[in-house]
Amino acid sequence: MVDTFPSAFLRLKLSFCCALLAALLVGTLDMSGEAKAADDTIVVARDMDINSLDPARAYCDTCQIYLSAVYQPLLTLAPDNKTIVPSLAEKWEVSPDVTTFTFHLNPAATFSDGSPVTGDDVKWSLKRLKNVKGSASYLMDSLKSIEVKDPHTVVITTKTPNSELLGILSAPYTAIINSKLASANGANAKDDAATSDTADAWFLSNSAGSGAFALDSYKPNDALRLKRNENYWGKKPAAALVVMKQTAGAVTQAQMLGSGTADIAMQVDPDTAKSINDPNIVFETIPSFNFVYLAFSPIAEGSPVPLTRDLREAIALAVDYKGAIDFTVGGDGKFQPAAIPNGFPGTASLPDPMTDVAKAKELMAKAGYADGLTLDLTFAAMNVYGIDLSLLAQKLEQDLAKINVKLVLKPATFNVWVTDIDKPVPFTIGFFAPDYFGSAQYAQYFGMIPDMPWGKRAGAGQAEGLDGKAELEMFNKALAATPAEQEQAYRALAMEMIGDKIIIPILSPNLVLAHRKEIGGVRYSACCNLPLAEIVKN
Amino acid sequence: MLEIVLRRLIVMPFLVLGIVTATFILAQFTKGNPLVSIIGAKALSNPEIVAAAKKRWGLDRSIPERYVIYVKNLAHGDLGTSFRTRQPVLTDLAQRLPATLELVICAMAVGAVTGLLLGVISAQFHDRPADHAARFIALLGSCLPIYWLGLLVLFLFSVQLPWLPGPGRLDLRSELPETMTGFMLVDTLLAGNWNAFIDAARHLILPALVLGWSVTGIVSRMVRASLLDVLKQDFITMARAKGASESRVLVHHALRNALIPALTILGFTFAYLITGSVLVETIFSWPGIGSYAVDAARALDYPAITGVTIIGGLGFLIANLLTDIAYAAADPRMRGAAA
Repeated sequence: MVDTFPSAFLRLKLSFCCALLAALLVGTLDMSGEAKAADDTIVVARDMDINSLDPARAYCDTCQIYLSAVYQPLLTLAPDNKTIVPSLAEKWEVSPDVTTFTFHLNPAATFSDGSPVTGDDVKWSLKRLKNVKGSASYLMDSLKSIEVKDPHTVVITTKTPNSELLGILSAPYTAIINSKLASANGANAKDDAATSDTADAWFLSNSAGSGAFALDSYKPNDALRLKRNENYWGKKPAAALVVMKQTAGAVTQAQMLGSGTADIAMQVDPDTAKSINDPNIVFETIPSFNFVYLAFSPIAEGSPVPLTRDLREAIALAVDYKGAIDFTVGGDGKFQPAAIPNGFPGTASLPDPMTDVAKAKELMAKAGYADGLTLDLTFAAMNVYGIDLSLLAQKLEQDLAKINVKLVLKPATFNVWVTDIDKPVPFTIGFFAPDYFGSAQYAQYFGMIPDMPWGKRAGAGQAEGLDGKAELEMFNKALAATPAEQEQAYRALAMEMIGDKIIIPILSPNLVLAHRKEIGGVRYSACCNLPLAEIVKN
Repeated sequence: MLEIVLRRLIVMPFLVLGIVTATFILAQFTKGNPLVSIIGAKALSNPEIVAAAKKRWGLDRSIPERYVIYVKNLAHGDLGTSFRTRQPVLTDLAQRLPATLELVICAMAVGAVTGLLLGVISAQFHDRPADHAARFIALLGSCLPIYWLGLLVLFLFSVQLPWLPGPGRLDLRSELPETMTGFMLVDTLLAGNWNAFIDAARHLILPALVLGWSVTGIVSRMVRASLLDVLKQDFITMARAKGASESRVLVHHALRNALIPALTILGFTFAYLITGSVLVETIFSWPGIGSYAVDAARALDYPAITGVTIIGGLGFLIANLLTDIAYAAADPRMRGAAA
């Protein structure tokens, strides 16, 4: 008989493989049992964007979550996402001219090493934030002086009236650091801290905060592990360990929820959420403070026609806002009238954006473009807040074709797009998420104020109809307003910004909070994104 | 053989310098701004912050100055500090390379063994149902998009049939073993933690199978083609005429000769997968070098881009060297040529 194959060898190999596979599968059952036992660990699946774990240098959405879990600012934002409430400061007073702010620290507050939080720590941390010249240093632009009256009383003075300071001091970036510990590891708050402070690397494996958690370990692009701060002076969190696992992609995050590998998934988009029917997973859809907008730069070189106000208004009127919400996020979004998020000061009664193609055509004719024109639309080819910007661009292409505006879509990587819009480019799609609760950051970024980002790009003070003075005055007035006057002051500013037709908000997408059904306390915060200390496993 | 190895080792530093120079120049002239990943997009409009960041990260120096500094530091084993992770690139690579190597070695083992078996079956049962079935399986491995396949197996074996764990290298709720080698299988064994070893092995199964299947397709087709070619040659007829059994003809005479082209493919595939396993790493949240490379390129993280390129380049050079050595071992004519 002819031996047609080395069968004995093959059989041996197959037997070995089967035995190994069986051992591993049996191991699977054992290990899943072990995993369930560790029920004081919360696993969060998230595509992380961490640029630093140093409170003065960190600036990202994941940084907000980390900093608010491990550190504490003087103030924080209540769950209603409107009210400023005590954090390290138990009470505070504001002078009538809104330039002097006195904070009284809670004497019970301690850092995770047990040392008390003092006024010196507050002064050092805020001065360092300013002098390190990191991404969030702009929050301290108005700072004039910080005086430590006694270990538990700090007086902050601003250069000009600043009603926004309370909101700013609730931002996680204004976290108070254990100054002695950080100073011993290369940190300083000197004027030249931008180059002399070398603590960035130390903060990657250590923390020096007073929050409910402390840093356990961090491996970039892998996992961020936080352990419960056993010396926490407030109510201790339920979770002993929180693991934030780097997970790219909504589908993978949803699968991790389904398999129980993760307890919470943070970037599951509405479409993916709708496609999953698992009784063990809860999807909560809530309004967010993020938004996507169209923006014009009338002074940009390369525009085939002058981007006059009539033309900008015609384009704004041709956009099908409702259709954009349906098309990009399956209806899970809101209109946003101005470049200030719904729910922030000044937005209570703003008119919704309007679609009126007939009027848009009239304006096109008035502007001399009845026969149409061609315009480049530059955008980052990416998914933000669950919105595929390429899809949105295609939708806008269809909408504007109705008024004979032919869009040439120019996708770019995020990095290239960010660089391009500062040149600037004539017409683009942008997006924005808040750094803290307060409307001044939007006036600063989007207002037609000289030397401010979009003021520069649009040519405030140079372009026709954008004098750069009116909004600066309104901005200063809003900053000097009392709490009772703020809504009206920011509303006036928002109406002026709507009238500019430079920033055209398209939609504010809803946020999907996805978690296993046994997980409670998951909520979205305008300052802190996901407050980890409130999460419980039932 | 020694001469081949020595010659390659002498040339290697010059090749690495060439790779560094080319990468450095290309990265500097790529459109975009590395400051985006350092200070964030919003702060780019603030000249004071931009100036401070440029000074801190040496981006205020001219490109030739930066190149000279980089090469000097490289000579001392310093690959710079990543703009994104704020860690030395060498630390980043040391953390990620073992993860990728562990995955790629397992995937290569899966791919090489199954590819070899399928290739042999195909050749032995040429144009019969077994051949068609083996070729179909191999073809699927080459054709199915890895991204889709990864999501599918995760859904099937981790969600629907919870036999195997989801993404990651270890159960996220378990304590991490002390990092000694970075290879999770080795570290868990050295720690004497059998449960963690099993867990790490289970986490490897799906990504290694998905990545390995793509290798299966390449290897089996190569083995089949060369085996069919070898089986037609005179020395095979001679071996059969001398009364050698079919299995002896296949394994000792035909397969040994047919393996030589497969070795070349395996060498290059291994080197390619070190930086090319990014899709599997992304789906399975595997903290390896492929995803690090993609993130670095997206962020224009110059030190990281150059560091990864050096590692990738070295990988190719070493794989090439090992392939030559394997060639020499498999083919006596090569040994003779080298002597």
